[in-house]
Amino acid sequence: MKTTTRPIQTLVLAVFAIYALAPVYLVVLASMRSEADLFSGPLSLPWPFNLENFRRVWSESGFSTYFWNSMVISLSVTIIVLLTAPLAGFAFAKVRFRGREALFALFLAGLVVPAPSVIVALYGNLQALGMIDSRLGVILPQAALLTPFSVFMMRTVMQDVPDELIEASTMDGASLIRTFVGVVLPVVRPGLMSLMLIVFLFSWQEYLLPLVVLQTETLKPITVGAASLQGRYGVDYGGIAAAGLIAFAPLVLLFLLLQRSFVRGLSAGAVK
Amino acid sequence: MHSPRTAYWFLAPALILYLAFVAVPIAQVVGYSFFSWDGGRLDQFVGLANFARLGSDTVFWAALWHNAIWVVLTLAFPLLAGLLLSAILAERRPNTVRALAAIYFIPRTIPLVVAGIIWGWIYNPIFGLLNYGLEAMGLGQFGHAWLAEESTALLSLNVVGAWTFFGFCVVIYLAAIQSIDPSLYEAADIDGAGWGAKFRDITVPLLRNSTLFLGLYAAIEAMRFFDLIWVTTQGGPGYATEVLTTHVYKTFFLVGDFGYAAVLSVVLLIIVLSLASLSFWLLRSK
Repeated sequence: MKTTTRPIQTLVLAVFAIYALAPVYLVVLASMRSEADLFSGPLSLPWPFNLENFRRVWSESGFSTYFWNSMVISLSVTIIVLLTAPLAGFAFAKVRFRGREALFALFLAGLVVPAPSVIVALYGNLQALGMIDSRLGVILPQAALLTPFSVFMMRTVMQDVPDELIEASTMDGASLIRTFVGVVLPVVRPGLMSLMLIVFLFSWQEYLLPLVVLQTETLKPITVGAASLQGRYGVDYGGIAAAGLIAFAPLVLLFLLLQRSFVRGLSAGAVK
Repeated sequence: MHSPRTAYWFLAPALILYLAFVAVPIAQVVGYSFFSWDGGRLDQFVGLANFARLGSDTVFWAALWHNAIWVVLTLAFPLLAGLLLSAILAERRPNTVRALAAIYFIPRTIPLVVAGIIWGWIYNPIFGLLNYGLEAMGLGQFGHAWLAEESTALLSLNVVGAWTFFGFCVVIYLAAIQSIDPSLYEAADIDGAGWGAKFRDITVPLLRNSTLFLGLYAAIEAMRFFDLIWVTTQGGPGYATEVLTTHVYKTFFLVGDFGYAAVLSVVLLIIVLSLASLSFWLLRSK
């Protein structure tokens, strides 16, 4: 019995590994294939390695600008969330105050709000605020949409901080904010790291908000750039593959380097 | 133990941000849905007249149906695959588990827009790899214009959705499996139970909570997703892959029908919030 099931199980594991990796692998191959090499079939190794596709999309199709914009937007969103969510999470986890349950429920509801359902009013509001076609018009709503998840996650993280630690500090006369910065934050550093990575990941992946808010080509992030490249060139698969690779490589690398932090953050909601 | 008033200062930044760009717009959307609009301006209060249009909007019902199909397909494929894979992995060496979990998870780190582009290319009827592969295996007659035919478009896209989701299921299930008491499996071994019996009688029942969480998560995501459809088919061919979010987008930005776009948004919100309270209630009440 044992001897027959184990090889089948290994086969199942392998088949799903191929399912996960094959598209990525094919994109890597296509991105390095020169036009002359196009007809030797999509599975043959591209030879010689050709970086022309990368050069073309990076400097001619504006991907250096898209990449930079994604960086600016994602880092700004991450900083805003890191400055706001841990404070709120701490208050929800460790301080008793009036309206705590109601306010937390308000945040909790936001956990599932789809961006397309807010856009109908948000778009007009951003227009009124003069934020259409500005980075701020993407950054602020994006940070706001990620706030519920972040506050929820931070509350879970803060609950594990021992009360005695906080009490010892406030007994010594330190204010709550001092205690928070000096005692609590250092303890929850792994949680902050997870939050940072996930917020960065989600911001980099965002498509709808920048799609509708930004019109100026030089402000658009890489998701919008990649999608428009698809329409512009039609069948330039080398270029599209290179663009796709530029768009997801930073995220895949970040994930592979910091797998543990990522997984802890993503499963934060699931365990409780 | 501390002055509770400080708590409000701690909350204020996150709360203001959330109110300004999420909560208030939601309240506005609800308000908008009760008005008629004239060229982008509020015209007059019409009560539920906008809502009455839902009944005869065939695109709305088609979209809702597609969202429902998406939920069922997600439960049937990536969720089940995640359960099976994590149960197999649980008996392997830690290094194998770590490496494979990472591999399975990689697609989730890829933006859905880019996933859509990559798979759009795989599905391309002329240059695509899928038809190329079928041809090479002598199965050319099974080739399709995968995303351009009504009968295959939604299913083909769901394979992409599953691609980005099953690794997440593996990760969640693995975390839960590791907390199952190993003596249960040892006892089953002594009784001579095979792998299938242990899977059915120990793993599946004890992972009920994770399944519940993932199922509801999948259902909510199935109502929320937009990028994948927009970058591949934009709801077509015809309305074969239309979902609620794309219907909202088109009604608002392309048709400019603000009142009805608000109605569709409200319906979408009601569905996801009901699912969320259901999951909250189910996961708490145990």
